[in-house]
Amino acid sequence: MVTIPQLKIGNLVAKIPIIQGGMGVGISMSGLASAVANAGGIGVISSVGLGLLDVSSNSSYREGNKIALRQEIRKARDLTSGILGLNIMVAISDFDDMVRIALEEAIDILFLGAGLPLRLPKGISMDFLRSIKTKIAPIVSSGRAAKIIFKSWDKYYQHVPDAVVVEGPKAGGHLGFKRNQIDDPDFALEKLIPSVCEAIVPFEKKYDKKIPVIAGGGVFTGEDILTMMKLGASGVQMGTRFVATHECDAADAFKAQYLACKKEDIVIIQSPVGMPGRAIKSDFLRDVESGIKHPFTCPWKCLKTCDYRVAPYCISQALTNAKVGKMQEGFSFAGVNAWRVNKIVSVKELMDSLVREFEEAAQKQTLATNAV
Amino acid sequence: MDIEQKVKEIIIEELGVEASEVTLEANFIEDLGADSLDTVELIMKFEEEFEIDIADEEAEKLTTVGKAVDYLTSKVG
Repeated sequence: MVTIPQLKIGNLVAKIPIIQGGMGVGISMSGLASAVANAGGIGVISSVGLGLLDVSSNSSYREGNKIALRQEIRKARDLTSGILGLNIMVAISDFDDMVRIALEEAIDILFLGAGLPLRLPKGISMDFLRSIKTKIAPIVSSGRAAKIIFKSWDKYYQHVPDAVVVEGPKAGGHLGFKRNQIDDPDFALEKLIPSVCEAIVPFEKKYDKKIPVIAGGGVFTGEDILTMMKLGASGVQMGTRFVATHECDAADAFKAQYLACKKEDIVIIQSPVGMPGRAIKSDFLRDVESGIKHPFTCPWKCLKTCDYRVAPYCISQALTNAKVGKMQEGFSFAGVNAWRVNKIVSVKELMDSLVREFEEAAQKQTLATNAV
Repeated sequence: MDIEQKVKEIIIEELGVEASEVTLEANFIEDLGADSLDTVELIMKFEEEFEIDIADEEAEKLTTVGKAVDYLTSKVG
């Protein structure tokens, strides 16, 4: 019998090599993240916009985000003793604050995406970085980006990240690709995994540590997990499947979109952030496409890359509306396979089925190999 | 070697462009075909070659050959 391998990131050991991808705004919070951690995977809270969700807070947006993040991490910690991660977008204006709080709260692992985490906030020294328990994993969309990040860390900190996530063009949400690369087979996840593995080899040697590569973007079944592992991944990051769980922190109306959508409803949009993104077609997005603006006042420039003076709508507000179920005033991001989702299950049921599918597929392949 | 010459040589080498294209007005992305990762690599190379540290806020402003030359001249010249 073949059993699914563990995922080891330094001294962290996840029984099941599945990382639930951070989903913002407010889709993966303490509820979902703790459930995944309890089921043996790595549960990830998305840090973006948490302050906006807390309407009771009367502090400024920046302070509100800090307070809300600290609360959310503690809340998750109360619910699980498993492995908890935090996803922070490099493109957010309060990136430094978020990283500091995560380190103060001793989160197990930080995932840094939506931009190149070439350096950590000022004041974080090489010695400090080497002394902390928190693991750090950048999210990249090419072997080249991985190489640049590792080179930069090697230079500034004489230390390198503990793992790397490679997110292919089939993912949901913001994509680290140009529009014309999204369907180009040369940029498929299956091609990216070996190139990222290759890019980090010199750093694994220099620092004498194993740096696991985690693959995400379009991974849907246990058999997909096996495919990614055969290509060199040590684990996978999955988002879409976790939306369709009871524990997911989004409103039922948000999850209902995943159940109702068809293949042709999953579309690529141009996000005001300046990157393409994958989302489920909605009236709101149709309005945007036809040039209808959703005027807004920007409470604070939450994204470094957002040109809020020309943006047709506030993406932060639109995603927050969707999170709470106001689908007419927002939209949901989703992976390419979201149309295949047809049922809301518990996180435990989902994880069990993925493990079973993985092991059955591995077993079948072993038998086939032995027969030859 | 003067700084301008050295900067131009680094750009030619890193971006794989012809010397004739590397005018002071040339924009790294629009004229020399660099993508966002190329510009990051270029900045890292400047730091290495001139043994200086370029903060992100400064790096963002270095969009043309001339701006890079001026900045590096002021830092090391």
